[in-house]
Amino acid sequence: MSRWLLRRLLGAAVTLLLAITLVFFLMRLTPGDPLARLSEDRPLPPEAIAALRARYGLDQPLPRQYAAFLGGALRGDLGGSIEHGGRPVRTLLGERLPATLLLGGSALLLNFTLGVWLGVWQAARRGGAADHAATVLTLVAYATPSFWLGIVLAWGLGTELRWFPVGFMHAVWLPPDADLLTRFRDLLWHLVLPVVTLSAGTIGATVRFQRAAMIEALRLDAVRTARSKGLPERAVRWRHAWRNALGPMLALFGLWLPLLVAGSVFVEQIFSWPGLGSLVAEAIGTRDYPVLMGATLLVSTTIVGGNLLADVLQRWLDPRLRAA
Amino acid sequence: MDLAPLSAAARSAGAEPRATILGVTPTRLPYLLAALLAGAPALAAQATPGRGTLVIVVASEPTSPVPTLWRGDQGNREVSDLLFLHLATPDPSYRLTDEKAWQPALARSWRRRDSLTLAFELDPRARWEDGVAVTARDVAFAADRAGEPRLGGALATLLRRVASVTAESERVVVFRFRERYSEQFYDAVFHAPPLPAHLLAALPPDSVGTSPFVQRPVGNGPYRLGQRVAGQQVTLVANPRFFLGRVGIGRLIFLLAPSPEARVNLLLSGEADAMDNIYALPNPARLEAAPEFQRYPLPGLVLNFASLNLRDPADTARPHPVLADVAVRRALTLAVNRESMSRTAYGPFTHAPSGPVSALVGRGLDAPPPPPYDTAAARRTLAAAGWRDHDGDGVLDRDGRALTFRVMVPSVSASRIRMAAEMQEAWRRLGIRAEVEQVERAVYSARFAAGQFDVAMHGVNQDPTPSGLTQSWSCTGTGGSNVIHYCNPRVDSLLARGQLSTRDAGRYYKEAVRLIAADQPAIFLAAPVAGIVVHRRFTRVQLRAESTWADAWRWSLRPELALERDGR
Repeated sequence: MSRWLLRRLLGAAVTLLLAITLVFFLMRLTPGDPLARLSEDRPLPPEAIAALRARYGLDQPLPRQYAAFLGGALRGDLGGSIEHGGRPVRTLLGERLPATLLLGGSALLLNFTLGVWLGVWQAARRGGAADHAATVLTLVAYATPSFWLGIVLAWGLGTELRWFPVGFMHAVWLPPDADLLTRFRDLLWHLVLPVVTLSAGTIGATVRFQRAAMIEALRLDAVRTARSKGLPERAVRWRHAWRNALGPMLALFGLWLPLLVAGSVFVEQIFSWPGLGSLVAEAIGTRDYPVLMGATLLVSTTIVGGNLLADVLQRWLDPRLRAA
Repeated sequence: MDLAPLSAAARSAGAEPRATILGVTPTRLPYLLAALLAGAPALAAQATPGRGTLVIVVASEPTSPVPTLWRGDQGNREVSDLLFLHLATPDPSYRLTDEKAWQPALARSWRRRDSLTLAFELDPRARWEDGVAVTARDVAFAADRAGEPRLGGALATLLRRVASVTAESERVVVFRFRERYSEQFYDAVFHAPPLPAHLLAALPPDSVGTSPFVQRPVGNGPYRLGQRVAGQQVTLVANPRFFLGRVGIGRLIFLLAPSPEARVNLLLSGEADAMDNIYALPNPARLEAAPEFQRYPLPGLVLNFASLNLRDPADTARPHPVLADVAVRRALTLAVNRESMSRTAYGPFTHAPSGPVSALVGRGLDAPPPPPYDTAAARRTLAAAGWRDHDGDGVLDRDGRALTFRVMVPSVSASRIRMAAEMQEAWRRLGIRAEVEQVERAVYSARFAAGQFDVAMHGVNQDPTPSGLTQSWSCTGTGGSNVIHYCNPRVDSLLARGQLSTRDAGRYYKEAVRLIAADQPAIFLAAPVAGIVVHRRFTRVQLRAESTWADAWRWSLRPELALERDGR
């Protein structure tokens, strides 16, 4: 196991390095100058432009810029944002990351609790009317684009009916010293529409995966044996069948872990969620290289880390994989 | 006076706890009394701030709302103008070259000593948020920082004709200029409001941008920074030391919503009260139809135009094969219904400009009417210049060269994309083939700056005075903002005379605008008059063209329409 883990860790590190390297050079090859926008309304004098280029290292040859980025990243220094007057990228990402993690984490939680339960529930009623109805519903949810759903929910349940707030993480007039319970209730209220929007499509996929895996598991000899021993159906389903159906779900979990940081850009825009989405969108438009590279590092690490975690969990839970 | 930091410093230094009177050590009592006495006149002038919360929804986050740190972005300027007072503010006439058309703010009076010297006397009631008096040194310090090229350079260019700013006494600051020109007063008061030297002088200029001061600025305006939630909001609360009058609205919240759809939803759901420029939205009708909002037209500083490159983008040393011909440029202008296009794109208050002037600058200039929409005249002009469809392919040509070009438009601007499509169709009917090319914003900026385009659908935020015309439309601006290489020495002469004249500046600028419009180096499409919406909960609404919300402190809330967020 330890040699396997070492190999996987090494592979993950190489993948991460390749991803970062590719993004770094592709970004610099894309047309556009991060300083051009600053001169749009009123041209900066050449000495001011030169000073800014030197400040952000843009006057250096590409390999040196790349080495500086890697060296800085290893020390935890991602440089300063060009658009934000040189504020450290680490601070900017740190300010926005909690909101994104909260939104992505809530969506994942809803996805895997509701999705798993519904998949198991459907598998137990395979072929019945309830199964067919749920299949249609989940397929519709799966096929619905999240940006469209978000716009419709914000308009219908927010603007028209005013049941839920249409933006932000907290009521903007909530006093900073409001008690914890008030803040928590306010936060939950604000989470409803973005989380439903973000998780609607992914729940559909989770249900489909869980249903298929569960149907396979319910056919296993071990499950038949458990039933023949007279165990209650609930125990058979959750204790014996579901455990065997966990493997594909873990793989899916690994794939969707990046949702935590990268999956919510559109939803953050629609609901003005103060996460990484608007920061990254702005950085793309303005070619704010340091912010873009910081965000890339964050997202790549989550993707590679998510897959690694899923592999480790699968191997830990399934003895057949360990033996292979 | 907040003594908490002093106590904290003592604790951190390991000082022994000492006896205090109402939390103040006896040794500090004289200082406290002196500070209270010094602040007494200012505090006496205070009135209890009004109730209410005005929630303004904006598209970009004000991240550096500190004078000298803005980089042309309006969002930072608008918040900065609520935190930091200028020496004077323009009156509603916006005759910015007239010293009598300014109202006192931080300066209570001013006097011209000679044609090169202006002296301002600061209002003795003016205090920074921390209680320290605003002095002439603060004015000189801000001017010095503004001239620092490491801080962005644009301000240094704007203030290039200011020779020196000196603190003659605590309250008298003197501006000396290198030459006599019409905008001396404007340069002195408009670009760089005073900064607290006692807090910033020790910081190197290039580290102010990343210092804690930017996150927690200490100003002297009607509001102070209350709370900042990254990516969500900036909350300003009434500054109890503000001395120019009663602050009518107790709290201002700037909400960040980059998505236009989200901005509209926030207003219609009752979560926000006001928004700038509704006609930049894809569907302003939703807001226009909402009876709870009042619309206010506000002449803006933006100018939108199709820039016609006079040089070949492949080799800028050569003239453009098609657009260097003034007949073609005139025909292109005559062929498009600019008045209709500008209203469709920027709302019912907007008109096509007569030349390169925004709505605000144009108003002050009494500019001539724009050239007409006349497709027959466009056809005649092209035919007279030899452009005919010789080969019958539906596209005009001359000497084997087809009348075709590309129109570059930034993909982020729905209004400019719409106008480009309308012009393309209008030109197609005349036998001109224009290919519209949407490019990403960063690519657009880089290509525009390098002159790599035939026609560019451009938009600029102009200065509120016409002297800014020099940078884009004079021979001396070539290589800078004048990327199309437009050069007419007569225009240069008029602009120079306009800048120097203290009496007839308007006449010279007007004539310069007329000449530029006749030369047609661009198709001047729209000088937007923004549609501002404000909820009817607020009365005495006053808006400023150069900084929309700067007078929000003068507004009031109708008590009968107060909400929970107003502290009802």
